[in-house]
Amino acid sequence: MPNSAMGDHVSQLRPALHEFEDWVYPDGFAHSLFEAFMKNPHDVGGEPDAPAVFEEKQEEQWELNTFVTCEVLAWRGIWTSEERRRLGNVDVGRTQYHGLPYYGRWALAASRILVEKRYITLGELIERVAEVRQRQSVDGALTADPRTTGDGTAVVRNRHHAEAVGKGDPQCFAGQAGDPRFAVGDPVRVRQLPTLFYTRTQEYLRGVRGTVAKVSYETVLPEDEAFDREDLRPKWYYIVRFEMTDLWEGYAGLPGDTLQAELSEMWLEPAD
Amino acid sequence: MGKSSGHDDTAHDGTHAPMVQEVTDFEVLEIALRELAIEKGLFTAEDHRHYTEWAEQMGPAPAARLVARAWLDPGFKELALTDALAASREVGIDWLHDPPTGFGSPSDFTLLHVLEDTPTLHHVVVCTLCSCYPRPILGNSPEWYRTPNYRRRIVRWPRQVLAEFGLHLPEGVQVRVEDSNSKHRFLVLPVRPDGTEGWTEDQLAEIVTRDCMIGVALPRPGVTSNPSRPEHAAARPIAGHQPTEEIR
Repeated sequence: MPNSAMGDHVSQLRPALHEFEDWVYPDGFAHSLFEAFMKNPHDVGGEPDAPAVFEEKQEEQWELNTFVTCEVLAWRGIWTSEERRRLGNVDVGRTQYHGLPYYGRWALAASRILVEKRYITLGELIERVAEVRQRQSVDGALTADPRTTGDGTAVVRNRHHAEAVGKGDPQCFAGQAGDPRFAVGDPVRVRQLPTLFYTRTQEYLRGVRGTVAKVSYETVLPEDEAFDREDLRPKWYYIVRFEMTDLWEGYAGLPGDTLQAELSEMWLEPAD
Repeated sequence: MGKSSGHDDTAHDGTHAPMVQEVTDFEVLEIALRELAIEKGLFTAEDHRHYTEWAEQMGPAPAARLVARAWLDPGFKELALTDALAASREVGIDWLHDPPTGFGSPSDFTLLHVLEDTPTLHHVVVCTLCSCYPRPILGNSPEWYRTPNYRRRIVRWPRQVLAEFGLHLPEGVQVRVEDSNSKHRFLVLPVRPDGTEGWTEDQLAEIVTRDCMIGVALPRPGVTSNPSRPEHAAARPIAGHQPTEEIR
């Protein structure tokens, strides 16, 4: 059973569960079905796929602009990058996750955070999008042309963008998690916690035994950081080493092949 | 999107050129967002310009320099393995102070871990959850690195996927996949290849390609660029974008 990354429901969830009826009754709703629906779309490790051509790509000007806009919003304390990852890679759902361009999801994530945190209204955004579309020139190039420059002093910003200055992230969380529970060489097991809304602990690691390879740092859990919770206590992180043969039934490589991932203390328990 | 624009959209009957090149919804959305953010005082146009300047100059050259120096200088190699941020500074990249934020690049954090290959151990890096990558020292990630295909398969069939990249690992070499899923960023330090005895740091840095530091290729004398792959062209590329063959 090493993991359920190949679960039948997950493979059917793109674009939709192929059932005759597109409504469902709560009785007999299987646990495996619930897990499939809750699985984060970004968590693709181990899913079966056929070989594809590995391509390079030229970057569009708007892709660079979008990347920079998202990073500048974090620089100025409007969100953290973990909020961006949740909004762009998980909250969009499976269909949009696979159907939209990579930086398209970044642009939608930034749009959503500004509306949800009440920096702009959705009405304003809709009007501006319509107005910008009118402006395109013959060659299609667009430039940003703000009408005014706003007063930034009254803007609500997070603590992180100020508290991390001169320290870095995760260094800004150092010394807040107490003593680490595990040490290098300790056998650990990834806990079988439910997935609800957001995590960075991959499903393919759940329940698998590994060994601590490095005690990494302290930081706020991504499950908290992704929801702008700055009030919570940081936790220790560890790089954990797994045997491939423990991860995958019928592993097609060689014994001795390994995989490492970096996990929070919340997701680890001692193993024998 | 339909014909929401008010311009004279007569291209359909073929009588009135010029064709208006279609603007994508994402281009429009980004411009609208940026204008509103500036008007609300969330950030300034100068902030955006400043960050763009930093982002545009990122590339793999400093990482290649780090690897070459580690091959030549055992003391520097020790520094790279124990304090990779200090080693980065020695090759001109300060993860904390180079980005305009004063706290590092928001999406890349300020932690680098160098993975040392040996004659019997080979590392390869992936982020199965998105595309976590050591941008400040290696530049932007390649398109294939971000695809679900690479992310799905490399953690489960690493030898097969590496073979598709042209890297056939012999039985005596163990594979270690690093799933870069949290705040550390990772860089592979490959084994110095035979045939480079007596080479200078500059000569060595030439053969340390981006692919070698992700772990999908091995450095080889005479090979100074990533293998030629199909390139997906942009409709409106970044001004001054280098063709792929010039990206090392």
